[in-house]
Amino acid sequence: MDDMIRKANGFEILNHWALALSCILLSITGFAFLFQMKEVGSFFGGFPSMRLIHNWGGVVFSVSLLLSMFNWLKESITFDADDMGWIKVAGGYLSRKVKVPPMGKLNTGQKFFYLAILFAGIAISASGFVIWLLPANKQWVLVSHLIHNISFIVIILAIPVHMYLGTIANPGTLRIMISGTVPYWWAKKKHPKWVQDVETRKAGLKST
Amino acid sequence: MAKMGLLITPEICIGCRSCQVACKAWNQLPGDRTVNLGSCENPPDLTPHLYNKIHYVEVPSEKTEGRWLFVNQRCMHCGDAGCMKICPAPGALYRTKEGAVGIDKEKCIGCKLCAVACPFNIPRYDEQGKIAKCHLCYDRIANNLTPACAKTCPTGAIKFGDRDALIGDAQKAGYQKLYGQEDLDGLGALYAFKDPPKIYGMEEKPAIPETVVFWNKVLKPLSYIGLGGVVAASLLHYVAFGPKKEKEEEGRKDG
Repeated sequence: MDDMIRKANGFEILNHWALALSCILLSITGFAFLFQMKEVGSFFGGFPSMRLIHNWGGVVFSVSLLLSMFNWLKESITFDADDMGWIKVAGGYLSRKVKVPPMGKLNTGQKFFYLAILFAGIAISASGFVIWLLPANKQWVLVSHLIHNISFIVIILAIPVHMYLGTIANPGTLRIMISGTVPYWWAKKKHPKWVQDVETRKAGLKST
Repeated sequence: MAKMGLLITPEICIGCRSCQVACKAWNQLPGDRTVNLGSCENPPDLTPHLYNKIHYVEVPSEKTEGRWLFVNQRCMHCGDAGCMKICPAPGALYRTKEGAVGIDKEKCIGCKLCAVACPFNIPRYDEQGKIAKCHLCYDRIANNLTPACAKTCPTGAIKFGDRDALIGDAQKAGYQKLYGQEDLDGLGALYAFKDPPKIYGMEEKPAIPETVVFWNKVLKPLSYIGLGGVVAASLLHYVAFGPKKEKEEEGRKDG
């Protein structure tokens, strides 16, 4: 049995699942609205009820997104020289020979991904609420309709890549979403600076 | 089936508003509480229970003390309809076989997007939040009857018929080009104007909002092309590079 280290706490795991499930639900229903997909509409009990699901799913998504800032924002806006190095080697994804600089709790790609989702998510939520709640204000609704669809494209481009990288592209990553723990050696390989931080903190606690 | 339409001639309209009344009678629409705005125009705007109305315009005239223009306002049944483009609910707005834009309240989800995409500010919403607008009396047409407004018009200011034939009639009457003849791929409601449309309170060049056109032409296809693209790219990456496996031994060596 490997020594395990906790990478995500219960709040992070729940938060991520709420975001993931609401996002998938919203994307499916969103596509159904975009292209008037009758079969998808029937699956959700007709278009009027699918609208309710889409709107309230949006509430779940936007609340989860706001809560996610407590989890991942601070880490995602902290960059150093190693992040530049990561960008130069494209995270080691385009060549297996390059050496990827040591990463903290989130790697550079994960930071960018979170920021993209945060901005697009805020845009898609805010514009969605305008369309839902302020239909009388036509100029606002027109602009919101545009923003809603542009941010949807950002999300629909980013999410499949995120899902790919979090599963089959990096075996062993998915368990962060399930148990929240990863083998110690794995963490040390993927996120050495973070492991170091954790160790320093532990040592600090012991010494005091 | 040939495209059917309405020919509206403000010059021969006497402003009696029987078109408003007949429409309400046929479509069983309740009365609206209204306000006096110091004009014979009443009610002041279209409502969920008022599918057409006469817009009163007073313009200065050299010959007489003033000139009154009576312009029938309603859904124009655009050939290229913004409401139908933006509508997310299949069948809520549909093209009738006469070429009009029909509505099905059962299928309307009440999102109200059609109202923002309409170049003429026509769709209204009823108490259930469902779309309400002129549907060119599709139920009457289906039974070989004339739409209620045209049927009741005492002067022939609203005429219903084959769209091409109506255009021919108007040209014979001296109207070279009708409002709506070419706009938005041809409106179902054609207007015989003597003066520039602006005077009648109409847009010179009615158009679907640019953001809606951009969304329809660019963003919509981009969404599924983009999704397909990134899924394909991910699969391709997996085939080309394979998973980034971490080996425990290596990890220990490095550490």
